[in-house]
Order: sequence, then structure tokens, then C-alpha cells
Amino acid sequence: MASLSEEVLLVVKKVRQKKQDGTLYLMAERIAWGPEGKDRFTVSHSYSDIRCQKISPDGKAKVQLQLVLHTGESTTFHFANESTSRKDWEAAKELLQQLLPKFKKKANKELEEKNKMLQEDPVLFQLYKDLVVSQVISAEEFWANRLGGINNGESAACENKQEVGISGAFLADIRPQTDGCNGLRYNLTADIIESIFRTYPAVKQKYKENVPHNLTEKEFWTRFFQSHYFHRDRISTGTQDIFSECARQDEKGLKSLVTQGVKNPMVDLLSLEDKTLDEGYGISSALPSTSHASRTVKESSNFAIIKRFNHHSAMVLAAGSRKRDVPADQASETSSTDGNSRDSDFFQPPLKKVKLQEAIEYEDLQQENRPKTVALNLKKSDRYAHGPVPLQSQQYTTSQDIINSVNYIKHEMSNYKPNLTQVLSSAAASSAIAALSPGGVLMQQVAQQAINQMVPTEIQAELKHLYVAAGELLRHFWTCFPVNTAFLEEKVTKMKSNLERFQITKLRPFQEKIQRQYLSTNLTGHLECMLQAAYSKFHIWQTRRMMRKT
Amino acid sequence: MASEGEISLLVVVVDVNPIWWGQHAQSEPEFTLSKCLDAVMVMGNAHMAMTRTNQLAVIAAHCQDSHFLYPSKRLKGNDDTSSSRDGKYELLSVTNNLIAEEIRDIMSKTELTGNSTDTLLAGSLAKALCCILLKTVVFLLAQEIKSRILVIKAADDCALQYMNFMNVIFAAQKQNILIDACVLDSDSGLLQQACDITGGLYLKIPQKVALAQYLLWVFLPDSEQRSLLVLPPPAHVDYRAACFCHRTLIEIGYVCSVCLSIFCNFSPICTTCETAFKIQLPQMVKPKKKKPKLPA
Repeated sequence: MASLSEEVLLVVKKVRQKKQDGTLYLMAERIAWGPEGKDRFTVSHSYSDIRCQKISPDGKAKVQLQLVLHTGESTTFHFANESTSRKDWEAAKELLQQLLPKFKKKANKELEEKNKMLQEDPVLFQLYKDLVVSQVISAEEFWANRLGGINNGESAACENKQEVGISGAFLADIRPQTDGCNGLRYNLTADIIESIFRTYPAVKQKYKENVPHNLTEKEFWTRFFQSHYFHRDRISTGTQDIFSECARQDEKGLKSLVTQGVKNPMVDLLSLEDKTLDEGYGISSALPSTSHASRTVKESSNFAIIKRFNHHSAMVLAAGSRKRDVPADQASETSSTDGNSRDSDFFQPPLKKVKLQEAIEYEDLQQENRPKTVALNLKKSDRYAHGPVPLQSQQYTTSQDIINSVNYIKHEMSNYKPNLTQVLSSAAASSAIAALSPGGVLMQQVAQQAINQMVPTEIQAELKHLYVAAGELLRHFWTCFPVNTAFLEEKVTKMKSNLERFQITKLRPFQEKIQRQYLSTNLTGHLECMLQAAYSKFHIWQTRRMMRKT
Repeated sequence: MASEGEISLLVVVVDVNPIWWGQHAQSEPEFTLSKCLDAVMVMGNAHMAMTRTNQLAVIAAHCQDSHFLYPSKRLKGNDDTSSSRDGKYELLSVTNNLIAEEIRDIMSKTELTGNSTDTLLAGSLAKALCCILLKTVVFLLAQEIKSRILVIKAADDCALQYMNFMNVIFAAQKQNILIDACVLDSDSGLLQQACDITGGLYLKIPQKVALAQYLLWVFLPDSEQRSLLVLPPPAHVDYRAACFCHRTLIEIGYVCSVCLSIFCNFSPICTTCETAFKIQLPQMVKPKKKKPKLPA
């Protein structure tokens, strides 16, 4: 029910929802709809729940507005009033457009972050499915540890966002198209308008003055494009244009830029000259005339274009380096485009020195200032070369033994002839084969080693998921110790019940499944062992607590 | 079988320590060095007979030095070696004769210096690696070459060769060369490590007389074929480190953070690099002072 303190912003009668006539109310914090004749609202959504609104296209007979909520549900409203449906619908749409952005709460961003995290990390997603969806632990506990860093990091990220610069070609991007009947159609987007305002603050000023008092926005831009200010050749004298003043200001700005010069002490622009080998091949000195009158028409129009290009580039660069929150003071902006160029002369000598210094010295050729280290001084380095002494006792041989052995072997090998037909007797061979066959003396461990070939892959995958889930729960459990605060006490009891629940809902069915498949291997022994360790620790802690209390 | 054009090189390193063989020949006359060499020849012939592109090399590890039994320098010399009278594949007969000649030669030149009674195994392995490298370079342009080393070990490990041994093992690992070990007498920790690191097979043979059978069954197939066969499982390797003071194997010890030397007992100064360690004594809990009772 609408409370009396709610401010109703807009009421639209004859709005149908789900084939029922009713009235749509837009309040300060929510949108509601009640059927005809009744006082109650059947549909009520607060703006923070609404993700976006969808509108039916212009041509359709049915005028509809659809609200899509964050949960995915959507509600459709049909504006059925014959005469005013269009207007109502537009009013509702505009109001919603203004109100919705305000109510995008931070909580929705959190939800998006969570979704993103789950999508990016499949292991996390699996863990979430295992634990939360099957109700072993609640969602808040799951997100408790993981979202801690997000809220802190986000605000820092917002501050470091880079500002978007201005494209130098934004005016060219407008790209007029012919309208068919001798007119031109200019496409202006919000980005282009913003670029124009940032680059030419004079135009912004004019816009503020004239719109919406004297001219509508459309008219303003039409005049702008029609004016000679915008055109290539700015023959800007005499026309009664709101923009002729802008042109004059631009001229002033350009002149001041020229007088400022370049701040870099190593660059001397004035020594550059535009020498062309005209008639006379450089010998005859025809001084280039600088007065307007002596120029040809073509020369002066070229001059004007070049001047405009230079000015445009200077303005774009200045706008990019200017900070956003500098107040738009018209006079200061057109004269000093950099904002801090007044004292360039004052700073010149030290700047030049710094630049010279930078050019001469290389950092990595200087003497290294590494921290002093102590040299390693090994006294008995042969220790490293000596291997481990075998554990069995050395057999000591007397020198007489050695002599005897060597003589014996020399004697034996002096008559050595390979006798390859008598190398192996069949008895020896068959006993060797017996030893090497599975089950023989040398092959005792073979059967135990193929465990990963005996267990099917789905079972292995499920076991892995179980381990990840159990690991997560056990981690929460064990971090509660030592139990110092009441919160940890609660948490440890809750975790124990979680572990028990996990064992019942997940582990037992898995064990039964394995048994049904006649796998005799004990795959869950280790998991059980870990859980038992946790239970016994809990038990010990509980008894100690009881003893302390009594 | 190896794929077309793939060359498989087998290098057999035979431990011919005369002292060990001499001693054991007297106690076990049915298995002598001759028999051992016969078995090695059988295996070598089998390896060469399997594919035309298979290569063989045999090195004898003595206590004075190590020699190449095959291919040897005599190869180039004599063309009039006794041709086989039994119609054997000529390469095999040449190989066998060469090996026999070489070993007779080596054994007759054995001199006792009295210093070393240990087999120079690390040196032989290093020679084997060089041989493999040479062959690899020679054949590099033509085909792929896969090599492995088989060590037939008789005498005990020598602790002095530890460093060289480990260097050889790591070099082999880098070059993807397998080191197999067939041990006749006592287990060798170094060879166990070598086989574990390079991916080869380690086997201690229960019956020496059946050496040929073991060689053919276990060590003849190359690494690709071994994955298809059921062979003895790898043994558990003892990777414990030895402490620097007593050279005993320890599981838990103390390591100097400066020179990384391992000790079994704590000492305040490391004996290798002479760094002094500061010990933090555990906090002593002061007993609560009892207030003396005031006399009434």
C-alpha cells in the first residue's frame, strides 16, 4: 500500500497489465500499478530492482513499456488510453530514464562482481554449486571471505580511471550526408557535442547563453553549421552571426599563442624558415610579403586554412591537458591555453640546465651504488663434493687379496673367446622369466600401481570436487582455532554442523555409489580421516570449554 | 619398432673391475667375466640385428681408466679379421671379435697401482655421453637419433665420484638420454638416482647366470616400447641428504643459510663458512612473586 509520505511523481490512467485495466503510479522510489477500482497495488517494484526498461518501437500500434528486473523477471505495461497513450508513454519513459540511474545501488554491482567471479573461475563455480546449491553452507558464508577485497579495490580503481581524450578528427567525423533534396544532414552524437564544447569553450559559452532561451538546441546547431565560423574559409566580416564573436576571439587566442612561443629551451622555432627555390634559384632575394593586400586570393585562402588548422590543433591539445574541473572562465581560457604558461620565462634557465643534463648523462653508465655485500668464505669446500657413505659396512680387502684377484682375472681373460652358443641354459632362462612375469619376485608392486587406470574418470572427477569442497569447509573450520571470541565459537559450532551435513549429503552417497560399482579401492579413506580429525578436535575443544565453565 | 629412419644408439658400460671380478670368480666359478661379456655381446648383437639403423657402443670401466671396446681403433686397421665361418651377419661377427680383442688387451695391461680399487664409473659415463653427442652431431642432418646408456655394475659405489656422477646424470637428463642400470651385486644409490632422474630402469638381478635373459627381456626394448610392456616397477629411491659432519643419511637436519651445508646437530658456528648463528632462547615465564606474609 502506498504510504502517504511517498511523493507521487506521475499517474497514468488506463494502463493495462496482464490484460487488466488499471493505473500506473510512479513514485519517488518505486513504480507501482493497481487494477481499476481497487486501492491496492498488485505490482510494485522499487527502482533499485529494475535493471532496465524496454520500449516498443515507434511504429507499433501497441504502446508498451517493459521493465526488466535484476532477477530476470519482466513486467509489461500496455498504455491503452486511445488519445493520450503516446504522450503518457513518453512521459513515463522519460521519468523512468531519469530516475533509474539514480537508484543503481552498490548492491547490484556486488551481484555483478559475484557473477563475474563465478564465471571466470570454474573451480570456484563448482565449489559454489557443491556447497551452496546443495545447502551445505549458506551463500553469505561462502562470499564472506572472498568479497572482502573487492569493495576496497573498486574505489581505488575508479580514481585511477584515465580520462578520455578528444579525437582530433571529431569535426570531420560528423560527415554530412545529402538529404536527397538539396539539403545536408549532420549527425551529431553526444560525444561529438562534448568534444566541440571541450575544444572550443567559446562555443560552449554561446550555447549556455542562447539555449534554451533564444534558440532550441536544433536551431543552435543548425546555425553553427551554417555559419562561416564552421566553414573552411572564414571570411567572417560583417555577418550578423552569433558566432562572429567566436571567430574574433579565436583570432585573439591564436595571436597570444604565437607570442607565447614554445617552452622548450632547446627548441628554437624562429630559426626555421620556409625557403622555397623560387624564381632565381635562391639567388634573387624576393622578400615574402606579409601584408594582406599584396597576396593573391589563393594565397590568402591557403593562409586562412593553415591558420585554422593550427588553431584547431592547439585547441585540441589544450583541451586534452586541461583538467575537467577547471571552471570555464572565458577570458583566461582563450588567452592562456595551458593554464600555467604565464611564468614560462621565469623558469627558463633551470629547465634548460635540466634538459642538458638529461641529454648528457646515461643512468646505467654511472657508477653503481649497490649495497655492500659480504663475500662468501668457505673453509672446507670439499665437503660438498663428497657423497653419502653407503650404509653397509665396507668390505676390507687385503693387498694380498687384490694381487691374487688381479692375477686370476688376467689369467682367465688371456684366453677369452666368446662362446655365444652357451650363454644361457634353459633352466636359468625359465627361472628368470618366472621372476619377471607378473606375480614373480621382481613384480610385486605392479598391481598396486594402476589405480588411476582402474577407476573411471567420472568417479575421479567427482572425487576431485569432493576434495575441493571438503578442503574449503575444513579451511573455514580450522581457521577458527584458537577460539578467542564469541563469534569464533559460533562459527566453529556452525562449521562442525556443516561438516557433518557435508558428510551425510555428499560423502555417503559417493561411497555407496562406489560400492555399487564394485570398486574395492578405498577412495574416500583420506577424506574420512580428515573429517575425523576435525571432529575430534572439536570434541576436545568442547570438553575443555565445559571444564573451564564448571 | 622405431619409426622409419630413426636411429637408436645403445651404449653399454660394463664394469670390468679386475679386483671384484677376480674375487667373485674364485667364489662363484659359474659366472665369470667371460660369461658376463658373452651375455653383453648377445644383447649387443640382438640390438644391432633388430634394425639396420641401430647403433652400438661398448665401454669397459676399469679401475685405472675406461676404454671403448666397440667401436675401437682397430676397426680401421685390419681388414683381414677372421671371417666368420658360420655365415653370421658380418657386422655382428666383426663386433664380437673386436670386443674380445679389446678386452683381452685391456686385461693383460692391467697394472696394480694400489691406490684405487674403485671402478671409474663416472668417467665411463662421461665418455659414453661424449660418444652419444658425437654420433648425434654426425647424424643430426640426416635423422633423429635416440640414445640410451646401459650400465652393468659389479663393484660398489665410490663416494669420491659423487659430484662427477651427479653432473653426468644431470647432463644426461638435459639431453634426454636414458640411463638404465643392471646391478649384479649390491644396490647402488647413485645408479638408483640416475635411473629415477633420467627415466630409465633400475634392476638388481637375483640370478647372475641368467644375465642374458634379463638383458634381453628388460633392457633391450627402447623407451617407446617399454610403455607397452609390463616391466618391473621402479624402486623406491632414497633421496635423503648426507650430513656434512658424519656423512650419514639424515631426514631432518640443520642447514646453514649462508653456505647451505647440512648438519645433523645444531652448532652455533657453521664449520664450513664460519657464520655465527644467534639463537633465540625461549621466553622464560617469570614465576609470580609471592607476597611475604607479614608477621602478625
